[in-house]
Amino acid sequence: MAPEVYALSQNPITCHAFNADRSQVAVSFNNNDAQILERRGSEWATTETLAEHDKLITSIDWAPNSNRIVTASQDRNAYVWEQKQDPETGKLVWKPTLVLLRINRAATYVRWSPKEDKFAVASGARAIAICSFDAENNWWVAKQLKKPIRATVLSIDWHPNNVLLAAGSADRKARVFSAYIKEVDERPSPTVWGSKLPFNTVCGEYNSPSGGWVHAVGFSPSGDVLAFASHDSTISIVYPGGPSIYTVRLPSLPLVSLAWTSEYSVVAAGHDCRPLVFSGSDQGWQESGTLDDASSSKAASSGFGGPGRLKSNAFATFQNADSRGQSSGNVADTKPNTVHQNTITSVRPYDAANGEVSRVSTSGVDGNLVIWDANAISALTGRLGGAQLR
Amino acid sequence: MADINFRKIDIDQWDEDALHESELYEVDPRDPQQVLEEAKARQVAVRSSLARSDISGALTTALESAPYGPNVEEAKTITLQTLLTILNSTKSTEISGVVKTLSPDTQDVLMKYLYKGMAMPGWGDISGSVLLGWHEKLTEVAGVGCIVRTMTDRRIV
Repeated sequence: MAPEVYALSQNPITCHAFNADRSQVAVSFNNNDAQILERRGSEWATTETLAEHDKLITSIDWAPNSNRIVTASQDRNAYVWEQKQDPETGKLVWKPTLVLLRINRAATYVRWSPKEDKFAVASGARAIAICSFDAENNWWVAKQLKKPIRATVLSIDWHPNNVLLAAGSADRKARVFSAYIKEVDERPSPTVWGSKLPFNTVCGEYNSPSGGWVHAVGFSPSGDVLAFASHDSTISIVYPGGPSIYTVRLPSLPLVSLAWTSEYSVVAAGHDCRPLVFSGSDQGWQESGTLDDASSSKAASSGFGGPGRLKSNAFATFQNADSRGQSSGNVADTKPNTVHQNTITSVRPYDAANGEVSRVSTSGVDGNLVIWDANAISALTGRLGGAQLR
Repeated sequence: MADINFRKIDIDQWDEDALHESELYEVDPRDPQQVLEEAKARQVAVRSSLARSDISGALTTALESAPYGPNVEEAKTITLQTLLTILNSTKSTEISGVVKTLSPDTQDVLMKYLYKGMAMPGWGDISGSVLLGWHEKLTEVAGVGCIVRTMTDRRIV
């Protein structure tokens, strides 16, 4: 099945989050507002704009069951949005509630916990705010995970038990914390990550192999395995019981986002503009292909040389102009041969079948939202780092 | 006008919680003296490998547990010299084949040394064209990811 491509904007899409039945999506086009888009046939139309933040929105998450949206922004605030009836018109509109995060730097990433009674906000203040609802005072309160974080936290992911939290940060480490809140959580049963879990217990700390920022973290569906991707063009899979870590070095540019599709496979994407699929088990992991086979076979046969695949055609145009004095050979064909025309900033599960994620959605700096069949994996033959170059 | 050099003030000295260089990578557990001796021993081993014209073996030996971090400047210099001997004595037609036989770890370290060499023009017997030749072949095999790892890694050789 060919990927569904929706060109939503000329501007970059910072992040996206679908609602439960995938009829609506919340996106931010690299500005202070979040837009709610509704699917109308093969188009997406803006139905509402969530305008409350004073600075760039960095992350959005939509809780599927309680139908609440949370947004995080560089203005150091997070808002929880709930659909309420407008007293004048009687229509359902999204109403914001401010969350007191008590952080003094930008909020970078936000995710609802699986039970949707908590959410975690990563920030540049070397802290993660774990927010839960205080019914007595009718507001969201935050408790901070601080130690031993040494730099901006770039991504987080909840364990299915609603207590453990993985965090990737710019101090080139991926960590697993306990975000146990006494008032909210029941005592969790022991997992491979540990059994006694008071708040801020560090259950695991893993270095990125060559010292890159950890851009993305993710627990496997069972929660027993952790994947993280870092800016040294590697993706690492951690089996804490092992204890073993499998690292896959990429020949391409770094990955910035990832999503598990089953216990044995991960889809990840980033600066290389196409989603890669990694598969393996506790015996080892490897890259098994890409979801983007659309036109990339053309790339292998075009035979243009240049630094990296991304700009190879543009590069060739200039190279021809330089060496042969040809100014207009293939001028029209300067587009990258991937579906996404720029860095992919977010990969999320879209649809599940038989307990596995069957489709994933990606959004990127090119303003496109793409829905991929997670099982349509094509081999990377002829398009690995080496072959791309010549 | 105020002091124009205000941007050069080290504001981290007033920050108790500043992030220090040493926290950005794991410090080499080996003693500097030991590192130096190992580098010298490798230099000898590389010469015998080269005598047998086993370039792949020589590279693997030279780049194994390469010195990094502070206080090991002499060992770094010796390793660079050793490496340059290998690079300079390899025929350009052989480079591709040699690079393919290296382990991914060794490829990453080799890339670090190529960049170190290119950052020191006119030092010793560094030849830009030789380094660029190796760089091209190594990038073909290990991809741009290898360059990214060289740039991000704080364990500078």
